[in-house]
Amino acid sequence: MFDTIARYLKSLFLLELLGGLAVTGRYLFRHKLTIQYPEAHTPLSPRFRGLHALRRYPNGEERCIACKLCEAVCPALAITIESDQREDGTRRTTRYEIDLFKCIYCGACEESCPVDSIVETSAFEYTFERFGEHIMTKSDLLKHGDQYEQRIRADRAADARYR
Amino acid sequence: MLNIQINGVDVQVKHGTAIIDAAAESGIVIPRFCYHKKLSTVASCRMCLVEVEKMPKAMPACATPVAEGMKIHTKSPKALNAQRGVLEFLLINHPLDCPVCDQGGDCPLQEASLGFGGGVSHYDFDKRVLHNPDFGPLVATDMMRCILCTRCIRFSREIAGVDDISTAGRGENIRIASQTGHPLTSELSGNLIDLCPVGALTSKPARFTGRPWEYQHRSALGPHDSFGSHLQLDVRGTKVMRVVARECEEINETWLSDRDRFSYQGLYSADRLTTPRIREKGIWREVDWSTALEFVANGLQQVRKTHGAPALGALVAPTATLEESYLIQKLIRTAGSPHIDHRLRQRDFSDQAHDPVFPWLGGAITALEQKTAFLVVGSYLRKEHPLVNHRLRKAVLRGAHAMFLDAVDRAYNYPTSVSMVVPPSAWERSLLAVAKAAHAITGRAIPTGLDALWESIECEAIHRTTAEHLVNAASAVLLLGNVAHAHPRFGALRNLANAVAELTGASVGYLPEGAGTVGAWLTGCVPHRGPGGKTVTVGQDWHTMVTGGVKGLLILGAELERDCADPSAALKGLHQAAFVVSLSPWVSPAQEAYAHALLPIAPYAETSGTYLNLEGRWQSFQGVVAPLGETRPAWKVLRVLGNLMDLSGFDYFSSDQVLAEAREAIGEVTPNNAMPCVVPAAISSETPALERFGEVPPYAQDALVRRASALQATPDGRVPIAARMHSATLAGCGLIEGAQVSVRQGEGVVRLPIIVDDRVAKGCVFVPSASVETAALGPVVGGAVTVVAV
Ligand code: SF4
Ligand code: SF4
Ligand code: SF4
Ligand code: FES
Repeated sequence: MFDTIARYLKSLFLLELLGGLAVTGRYLFRHKLTIQYPEAHTPLSPRFRGLHALRRYPNGEERCIACKLCEAVCPALAITIESDQREDGTRRTTRYEIDLFKCIYCGACEESCPVDSIVETSAFEYTFERFGEHIMTKSDLLKHGDQYEQRIRADRAADARYR
Repeated sequence: MLNIQINGVDVQVKHGTAIIDAAAESGIVIPRFCYHKKLSTVASCRMCLVEVEKMPKAMPACATPVAEGMKIHTKSPKALNAQRGVLEFLLINHPLDCPVCDQGGDCPLQEASLGFGGGVSHYDFDKRVLHNPDFGPLVATDMMRCILCTRCIRFSREIAGVDDISTAGRGENIRIASQTGHPLTSELSGNLIDLCPVGALTSKPARFTGRPWEYQHRSALGPHDSFGSHLQLDVRGTKVMRVVARECEEINETWLSDRDRFSYQGLYSADRLTTPRIREKGIWREVDWSTALEFVANGLQQVRKTHGAPALGALVAPTATLEESYLIQKLIRTAGSPHIDHRLRQRDFSDQAHDPVFPWLGGAITALEQKTAFLVVGSYLRKEHPLVNHRLRKAVLRGAHAMFLDAVDRAYNYPTSVSMVVPPSAWERSLLAVAKAAHAITGRAIPTGLDALWESIECEAIHRTTAEHLVNAASAVLLLGNVAHAHPRFGALRNLANAVAELTGASVGYLPEGAGTVGAWLTGCVPHRGPGGKTVTVGQDWHTMVTGGVKGLLILGAELERDCADPSAALKGLHQAAFVVSLSPWVSPAQEAYAHALLPIAPYAETSGTYLNLEGRWQSFQGVVAPLGETRPAWKVLRVLGNLMDLSGFDYFSSDQVLAEAREAIGEVTPNNAMPCVVPAAISSETPALERFGEVPPYAQDALVRRASALQATPDGRVPIAARMHSATLAGCGLIEGAQVSVRQGEGVVRLPIIVDDRVAKGCVFVPSASVETAALGPVVGGAVTVVAV
């Protein structure tokens, strides 16, 4: 009996509607959190695992020594490597490919690499327009390395003390 | 039997067993580096230390024989502590470059570190730095990784029988170095790769191309000599990445010849034939299989129609599998022709009626070790049959007499008692002299007519010694090698060998040339015998076939410009034949010139099949990778060809079916080399002033090994194409070393440089065969030549 009266009064005076409007009103004057992507970016953790890259040493020499540990550890079998002896006698890959459709961005490849060659950069804004572009070749990956080296280094430095 | 206790478990082991083996019998692993069951024990690495009760210190398990009541602990704190300490010491100078090391993933040092190591090192000084010696094109060296177990040194001394490598320097500077400054020369040197427990010695052809964990291990058989070695092919995807030995105590023990180990490279040579090709009006066209097979079937039928069925013939390389041999002889015989042959490097067939049902070694391979004397006739045994030589070497080290009748004084890896170095035309006389001397000793019954032959023969001291050794031996054997088979009077030679055997009590053994030779004999790939040695209409031998007897030829796996005993005659004949089909995994310029159709067939590793080895052991193998391109297994090609030619009995679904049928056709065969000695009517009276000697160089034996680039880069693969002569012969001709000469044999002339080689018999001109440059010359062994300066 009492319940029925309370419900009647609530709907008569639109109390629930006003309560909802009050929330709206409160947020109307609050500081806004919407990020205007792509004009603006959310902050990223230095551990963010995005597009892969193969790094080089400061003298320009590729780091990768074709040890194939990343290939072995990759749970998605996304990495394919072929290797041979380069003219100068060093061990190098002749083919290094990552299939980004297979990759699950787990970062295991990066963890396994003994020379910090394969890394996952914080770059995540990439698209493929044609089938086949999802296979990152060695030259693509080295290009990413050159392009993002500053970021890669900064991210690794920021994370260094937790490792 | 002794009663001992290992880790608290009572076991019984044989007297004299080392602890390490006793433990292995009960499934207990003791880490080791220097110990290897086939090598002498030096106990230098100390990795195998175990605790033995009542002994004050930990003992090396590899060098401590068990004793009654011994109580051994392999997992006690004392043992583990000792092992951990040793490992830390071993790793002091080890570079820890596993990521770039080819041994990584397959490395006893990695495994021992993981299982028995401590994980930390107390050593933080500089590591020793070493240069890498050049060990040739087969073995890559990374000496920084060496842990000085000396397995490699012991192998080269004890097994390979060459003193190629040793330690140099002392203390911290001690290292493995090439003693001679030259690359390794042994035909077994690749075994160092299997033996080295770390990545110090690795395979050069496979360097940096793969990782052990990506390989699938598949088994195969050695495709070259007739030894039947067990191989393990390491396969990735559709490619053979490397070959290692598979243990088989009765055959190859744990070893492999370099030829079997590295020839896989030839599978991927640039001249692999991957699409069928046909030649119409002189133009080669790549076509699909059905077109090609129809073309071939029509071509053969055409020949059959115009010239009659016996105008067809087939030549089979000694590398063909038993199934292939069986099918091709069935195809030819069902088509109505008796002409089939595989003895492409043989020239004298006069005595073929007395051939044993299949020529074989005459006993088990292991029995070779028990021989107390052997006479090898016409073979560079060490290179032709490396592992036969290895077994015989063991016999020699136990005191057996090694004797050779050859045209070149070879360098063997054991002491030889007798080395008769005479030109091939004198081999008969030498054997006769040995027979005569043997008769003088034993007085055994002379085979009829032999005394008339040896009347004019003088026995020299060397013949008497040979006879003595053979007579006095508890177990002696005469072995006929590849060159003997190519001898222009093989029949007489073989009978004289039989006579020597009869007079001395020795046995006769044959060294079949190729992996498929025995199979080809048994399946009836010879013109005078059917499967299992059955009587058939006698057809023509290969020489008669190619020199005009046959109009339509099927060639299986052979490149006749190199793979026969008389290439110039063969090429001439082939160019005149009406229709030549070459079934081959590779294509050579000469084939393109003489063939009308080229059908790509699968080489070993890509086909299944069966090989019989020289002791008559049946061994089957599977194809381990997909055939390259459009290549198909030869048995399938032959099967379809049989169907297209409307021949009955060619409906097989698998090679097993072919094998079963072949087995049935062959039936029970008892090998027997002891054929009656048919004394030749006369021995060769021909003694040319200069005589050709042209064996097949070690790595030119068959199409596959000729394409293995690393083997070709070794000294044995780079046999100079030159005329080699004794300095006395050279002086007699008024020539000087290095001069260009033209060598004429019959109608063939080639220009070659001269090399002085006092190992070559006087009166001989050594011109290697199986090479395109010398193909223009005549028969490869024997035959007069003239050498004139140009
Ligand atoms: S991130 Fe993970 S799934 Fe992707 S390539 Fe690396 S290891 Fe493979
Ligand atoms: S990227 Fe690193 S882990 Fe992968 S092969 Fe190269 S060196 Fe080895
Ligand atoms: S090279 Fe290898 S086999 Fe030879 S001593 Fe060193 S570790 Fe042993
Ligand atoms: S294995 Fe026993 S000391 Fe090396």
